[in-house]
Amino acid sequence: MSGMNDNSGSQNSSSKNSSSKKSSLKNSRSLRIVVAVVVVLGTIGYLAYTGQASAKSYYVTIPEMQKMGAKAYSSNLRVEGFVKPETIQQDGPNVRFVLSEYESHNPKAQQNPRQITVDYRGSEPPPDTFKNDAQALAIGTWGQDGVFHATQLQAKCASKYAPAQGAATSGAKVATNEAPVVAHGNRTN
Amino acid sequence: MKRLLLLLAFAGVVALMAWGFNQAIFVAPTEATMGDVQRIFYYHVPNAMLSFLFFAISFVASILFLAWKNSAPERAQAADAWALASAEVGVVFCSVVLITGPLWARPVWGIWWTWDARLTTTLILWLIYVSYLLLRRFAEGAQMQTLAAVLSIFGALDVPIVYMANRWWRTQHPAPVFGGGPDSGIKDPTMLAAFGWNVLAWAAWGLMLLAFRVHVERRQQRIRHHQTVAALAGK
Repeated sequence: MSGMNDNSGSQNSSSKNSSSKKSSLKNSRSLRIVVAVVVVLGTIGYLAYTGQASAKSYYVTIPEMQKMGAKAYSSNLRVEGFVKPETIQQDGPNVRFVLSEYESHNPKAQQNPRQITVDYRGSEPPPDTFKNDAQALAIGTWGQDGVFHATQLQAKCASKYAPAQGAATSGAKVATNEAPVVAHGNRTN
Repeated sequence: MKRLLLLLAFAGVVALMAWGFNQAIFVAPTEATMGDVQRIFYYHVPNAMLSFLFFAISFVASILFLAWKNSAPERAQAADAWALASAEVGVVFCSVVLITGPLWARPVWGIWWTWDARLTTTLILWLIYVSYLLLRRFAEGAQMQTLAAVLSIFGALDVPIVYMANRWWRTQHPAPVFGGGPDSGIKDPTMLAAFGWNVLAWAAWGLMLLAFRVHVERRQQRIRHHQTVAALAGK
C-alpha cells in the first residue's frame, strides 16, 4: 500500500488527488460497513443480555409466583411444576390436581416442597402426556382462595428418550400394534 | 459414464433414506412417555441440524461473494450460485422443521404453537430466508446479488440465536437432547442408531440437492451472460 503511494507521489498532482479521494471514499464506505456491523451485533448482544435477565418470561416457577406478592393475584400467569402423583381428579375435560415444585423422585421432594392446587376448566381435556410426575405448565390466574384457576394446560416434555418397558430394542413390531405404552415413574432425576 | 455415476449416487441416496425410514419407524423402540409420536424426532432434529448447515454454507458463500465481487468476478458468481442454492435447500429443511414441530407439539404439549424463544426465533430464521428467495426472484443484476448476500449474512446471524434459545431462555421447547444436562439424551443405542442414520440420509439428500442446484444455477448464469453479450453486440 505504501509502495503504491510512493509511486503516485512521483506522478502528477491530479492523479494523486483523485487516488486520495478514492481511498477516502473507500474509507468512508468501510466505516459505514463497520458501523452497520456494530449496530447489528450490538442489537443482538443487547437482546441476548436483556433476554438473559428476563429469562423467566415464558413461565414462572411455584416459588417465584409465591414471591410475587399481590401482583400474582392480578396477572395472567404461566406457572411450571410437576404433577403430584395420584392427585389428578378428572371430570370430563376439567381437571383438579396438585402441582409440585419437584418431581416426586427428586430427593428434594421429600423436604416439604412448595405446591399449589390447580383447578383447570377448559374446552378440551389435557394432552395424553399430562399424567403423574409430568412436567406441566398451567396458564391462568392465582385466586385469593389459594387455588390456581387454569384455562389452559400444557405438558412440557423432557428431552430424554428411553424405550417403553417391553418395547426395548426387540423392536417396535410389537409396540406399533398396541396403544402407546405408558410407563410410570421410570424417569430418574 | 458420468450419467451412470449420477444415477448410482441418486439410487444410493434413495436407498439410504429408505433405510433411515425403516430405522425410525420400525426398528427404533417406542418411546416410554410419548409413545409412537416421538418418532417425529428422527425427522425434526436432523432437519433442524441440516438447515443450520445449509444456512451456514449460504453465509460463507455470501461473504466470499462480497469479498470477490470486484477482485474476482468469476469466482464471485460461483460463490453467489452456492449462496442461492444453499439458502433454497436450507429453507426446505427449515420448512420440514416448522411442519414436524407442531405435529409433534399438538399431542405432546397440547398445543400446536407457542411464542417461546425457540419457536419464534426459528420462524424468524425461516422468514428471513424466504424473503431472501423473494428478493432473488423479483430483482435482478449485480445490485440484487449484493443485497441478497448482505441479507443472507444477516439471516445467518439468527442461527446461533436459534441454537442457544433453549439454553439462554426458559422455553416450552425441551432442553437440547445432546448436552442438555442429566434429564436429556437418548438412553437407547437403537434409538441413537436410528437418529444417526437419519442425519446421514438427510445430509446425503440435502447435499445432492445442493450439488444439482448449484450446477443448474451455474448454467443459468452462463446463459444470462451469453444473452447479455449478444444484446450488447446488437444481435
